[in-house]
Amino acid sequence: MGYLRINNLVKTFNRTEVVKDLTLEISKGELISFLGPSGCGKTTTLNMIAGFLDVDGGRIEVDGQAVHLLPANKREMGMVFQNYALFPHMTVFDNIAYGLKLRKVSKVEAKKRVLEALDMVRLAGYEKRYPKELSGGQQQRVSLARALVIKPKVLLLDEPLSNLDAKLRQEMREEIVDIQKQVGITTIFVTHDQEEALAISDRIAVMYEGRIEQVDDPITIYNQPKTDFVSQFIGEVNKIQGVVVGGENGNESRVNFYGDEQLLPFQLRTNEKLDFFVRPEKIVITQKHEGEGFQSIVMKKMFLGAKTRYFLKVEDKDLIADIPNTALNPHSIIEGSKVQTFWQAEDILPSRNVR
Amino acid sequence: MKKKLPSILLSLSCLIVYLFLLAPIVVVLLSSLTTTEYIVFPPEGVTLRWYIELIEHPEFIDSFILSISVAFGTAIIATIIGTMSALAVVRREFKGKNAIVQLIGSPLLIPSVVFGVALLQFYSWIGLATSPLSLILGHIILTVPFVMRLVVASLVGFDRVIEQAAMNLGASSIRVFFEITLPVIKSGVIAGAIFAFITSFDDLTVALFIVSTDVVTLPVRIYTYMQYQYDPIIASVSSIMIIMTVVLMIIIERVMGVGKIFSSKN
Repeated sequence: MGYLRINNLVKTFNRTEVVKDLTLEISKGELISFLGPSGCGKTTTLNMIAGFLDVDGGRIEVDGQAVHLLPANKREMGMVFQNYALFPHMTVFDNIAYGLKLRKVSKVEAKKRVLEALDMVRLAGYEKRYPKELSGGQQQRVSLARALVIKPKVLLLDEPLSNLDAKLRQEMREEIVDIQKQVGITTIFVTHDQEEALAISDRIAVMYEGRIEQVDDPITIYNQPKTDFVSQFIGEVNKIQGVVVGGENGNESRVNFYGDEQLLPFQLRTNEKLDFFVRPEKIVITQKHEGEGFQSIVMKKMFLGAKTRYFLKVEDKDLIADIPNTALNPHSIIEGSKVQTFWQAEDILPSRNVR
Repeated sequence: MKKKLPSILLSLSCLIVYLFLLAPIVVVLLSSLTTTEYIVFPPEGVTLRWYIELIEHPEFIDSFILSISVAFGTAIIATIIGTMSALAVVRREFKGKNAIVQLIGSPLLIPSVVFGVALLQFYSWIGLATSPLSLILGHIILTVPFVMRLVVASLVGFDRVIEQAAMNLGASSIRVFFEITLPVIKSGVIAGAIFAFITSFDDLTVALFIVSTDVVTLPVRIYTYMQYQYDPIIASVSSIMIIMTVVLMIIIERVMGVGKIFSSKN
């Protein structure tokens, strides 16, 4: 079923394992992101797939064939590099045609395919330019065309957008997804930008310290993080403490948050002090001083257009709440006032202490 | 008017520097046209007699051919060795790397007279007779540091990711070197080759120690000839060398641009 299969992959640098027993299956045509902080092993894994780094253990298969022992130039992978890596002494045309020349494609055929590729990345008419005459975004498009024109088995993108400015980055990522779907190529997209990964991926593999923490579609990753690392790395999150005061009928527990008891759909050990995660947009505040929840003080507020961010304090704990301005008029709450603070039981996740 | 004074002074100082640099060349060129039996400046009259008389001195022609051949051989071999050393030094970490870098660079620090004496003693010790080859060997030692330094300079800004990119597209290591690496560092390599050629062609000090009666390079020939005679043939030989150099530079300029070659970036 898996088109690209990575089995028990290991990489060691100076006796430190930077990739630890990594296993992953990627389906044909899928766009998967490797997401994680720097040093998590995502680029190392990509370089092993591309063949730039030797594998210290495990295997990599593409379409049923083991490739992890092949040299990089025999793997038929198209790679797009962070700094574009265009050949400075060649024109745009020659850059894109280089892979075809190596494959001994006839000149007529090569010309046709290069022009098609240029068309696809919307750079028709640029074939005589040299890389240094192009902007960063244009260079990255040439790089993408160069990788795709050889019809590789897998497309590898190594932080392809991180050298571009914010606006261009959004444009380019949409373009990359469009092209990827149009060509239907199996793609690995390495990034440290979680918003980018959420926006474009079919699935995200969240990596930390050489391991995959969770592989799931973006919505599941965001809403049902399986480990504490994923909870904290993806999106923003409040980490709060609660005390389990009692279990009720097996699958539920009663937890005390700052004086307010809430029934949560988890089985937790009674009398335990636990960390919980709740996202800023899941917190609700009202000016009522009764009902569910607890009282907190508004320390500061920040108007952000569609929403307002409230910096709250309860006991010694800081909380961030993002409230849509349609739900609550930011003018009506002044800094220093007390607000009723709560969240739905399904919006809070207990820490699993698994990192 | 006040503002213009500094720029006038600048132009003037440039003019003086250029005059100082170019005057000897002009003096030689003009002296070769004199009708007198001795070198004089300004020349008296105009004649090409000293150029025609060169034909009666086949030893100059032989030396010229020898010098060109030695310089050519030196340039090719020194460029290959220098480029390979530069690549090793910049890209690899190995034991004793610093020592090797210093060793390769050491001919730059040793006075060429000392080097000439050393080479003479070394050649007679190992029993190597004077030949174009022994000259080339000596000049290679002399020129490799230049080539290496120029190539190292052109490798400084080299991003090896483009080599990975080429490999990723299917290129073997050999193709990567000749189609990607070499074209990108070309300016440094060519500059190194030209430097090696000129250094070898121009060398008098080292060659003086290792030439024999039948293997004499042009600079040595001119030098020894001048010890006994001071006729304008020397000026005409020198003029031919100057004209040749100028023509060579013009060709290189036309083909690839001298400015491009001698700047470390392309």
